[in-house]
Amino acid sequence: MAGEAAIEVRGLVKSYGRVRALRGIDLAVERGEIFGFLGPNGAGKTTTIRCLLDLIRPDGGTARVLGINPQADPVAVRARTGYLPGELALDDNLTAEQQLRYLNALRGNSADWAHVRQLAARLDLDLKIPIRNLSKGNKIKVGVLQSLMHRPELLLLDEPTFGLDPLMQQEVLKLLGEAKAGGATVFFSSHILSEVQQTAERVAFIRKGLIVEVSETASLMNRTLRRARVRFRTEVDLEPLASLRGVTVLSRDDATSVALQVEGEMDGLIKMLAAYPVSEFDTERPSLEEVFLAYYEGDRKEG
Amino acid sequence: MITVVRYSLRRLRGQTLGWGIALALLALMIVSVYDAIAAQQEQVARLVASYPPELMAFFGASQDALAMFTPEGFISFEFFSLMPVVVGIFAVLMGSGLLVGDEEKGTLDLIMAHPVSRTALFLGRMAALALATAGILAIVWLGFLLGMRFSTLSIAWDRLLRPFVSLLAVLLLFEALALLLSMVLPSRRLAATVSGSLLVASYFVTSLARVNEDLEAVARFSPLNYLQTADAFDEFNPQWVAGLLLTAAIFSVTAWWRFQRRDIRVGGEGGWQVPSLSWRHILRRA
Repeated sequence: MAGEAAIEVRGLVKSYGRVRALRGIDLAVERGEIFGFLGPNGAGKTTTIRCLLDLIRPDGGTARVLGINPQADPVAVRARTGYLPGELALDDNLTAEQQLRYLNALRGNSADWAHVRQLAARLDLDLKIPIRNLSKGNKIKVGVLQSLMHRPELLLLDEPTFGLDPLMQQEVLKLLGEAKAGGATVFFSSHILSEVQQTAERVAFIRKGLIVEVSETASLMNRTLRRARVRFRTEVDLEPLASLRGVTVLSRDDATSVALQVEGEMDGLIKMLAAYPVSEFDTERPSLEEVFLAYYEGDRKEG
Repeated sequence: MITVVRYSLRRLRGQTLGWGIALALLALMIVSVYDAIAAQQEQVARLVASYPPELMAFFGASQDALAMFTPEGFISFEFFSLMPVVVGIFAVLMGSGLLVGDEEKGTLDLIMAHPVSRTALFLGRMAALALATAGILAIVWLGFLLGMRFSTLSIAWDRLLRPFVSLLAVLLLFEALALLLSMVLPSRRLAATVSGSLLVASYFVTSLARVNEDLEAVARFSPLNYLQTADAFDEFNPQWVAGLLLTAAIFSVTAWWRFQRRDIRVGGEGGWQVPSLSWRHILRRA
């Protein structure tokens, strides 16, 4: 049992009417790892997670969570899992503490309440406030807290930091790291590349209901794209820049300004620019979707 | 399941007390005017006798106008004639929203991610709603008993209980029907509308069948035809109650079966709309 994967999915298919949300997903998440599940909105991240908890029923394929088929024994899966929904909704008529106590009661009061208070303090969450008076960020903190409070073996988190301020995002990512250190497996979806890069050991990309890539985070970093905008003091010849490995000229606004796309490390470009009369240099990360598109364009060119 | 029942009862507490106390006050008022009306029963009987029989049948009154002034007849006419529809509104709203209400708010997703089976959640919620409905009727029943302490209107507590038992069975049936419809129709609102319409239709058919023999065959399929009010005091028919409860059980089991197999919807996932019947849509599908 201990050798089994935390999550094992084969050929998972799910449609909503004519919309094919999952088109045959294969995925394996090892026990004790932090696994990032990346994809643009509508790619199938939430659908996959909800199939793992038997909230929705797949049309085909198999799934095993902690060695259990969630369709056959969903209660056993949920007892050992902590879940944060992507669209978190709580009971507005309860205080945060009442909500947590109710959810804890559904788990047979398995959470240690001192641990709950400790988590609430770290998340800077006042448990006495009614849910209806909480900001969106504080509601997400309640959601994160309920997923962690019973120290589950597996955390299934759908966009856990979405809506949190940067400090709290860091705290939540730290909590995920601590959960892993305690032996838990963390499977979280996100469309924020940077937080996945920071936290996850492996990542899977999902796009239009298909897993298009599963890779180590380190190798993902090497494929990361950036956009660079350079303004020169005088007109220059861009040919040497354009011929650099991994550099593509996106546009040239005028004789002294150029937009570049850089794949991989920036080192070569920066060394080359040192020889140019540069007046301004800005870089930005493209959206994840752009990374996807660029990656597949690259695939086609190489093929 | 106990946790589900306890939490659901807590959520229904306000509604139970609100409906119960409001109707108990109505019961107190009805009992308090009985003495005044009974003192003028001959004049009132003459007035009532002048009303069209259709109108009187509609309010569940006996053909014999003087029967209205017996304690049982008075309570039936003043209270139980309209209660199936009034408390029925509570029944269809609560039944239709029992699970789908939380689903539409998005809260069911998180609850279902906890180690509670769909069966336990379903049964727990159903039990809580049945208890809340019984609680409302119990408060009203106590209201009548309290009022009777200060009035000449007097009915023994166990005889007074009989029409309440019959009404409870009808309400449970409509709660189960609304729950079933919420499992197969695309929204809570539509389920409440359809089940509410069926409740009102049942009331009309049952009432009109009392004065129109042609409707008697149709009225046999109307749940309110088996509601016992004035007749429950002396000729209580437990088989009718059992029949209503059996029908409620059939609706409940079907709703449970459907709940076991359906996706928990969130954010519009898995939702569906009533198919368009426009020619353009049909041709496109073809």
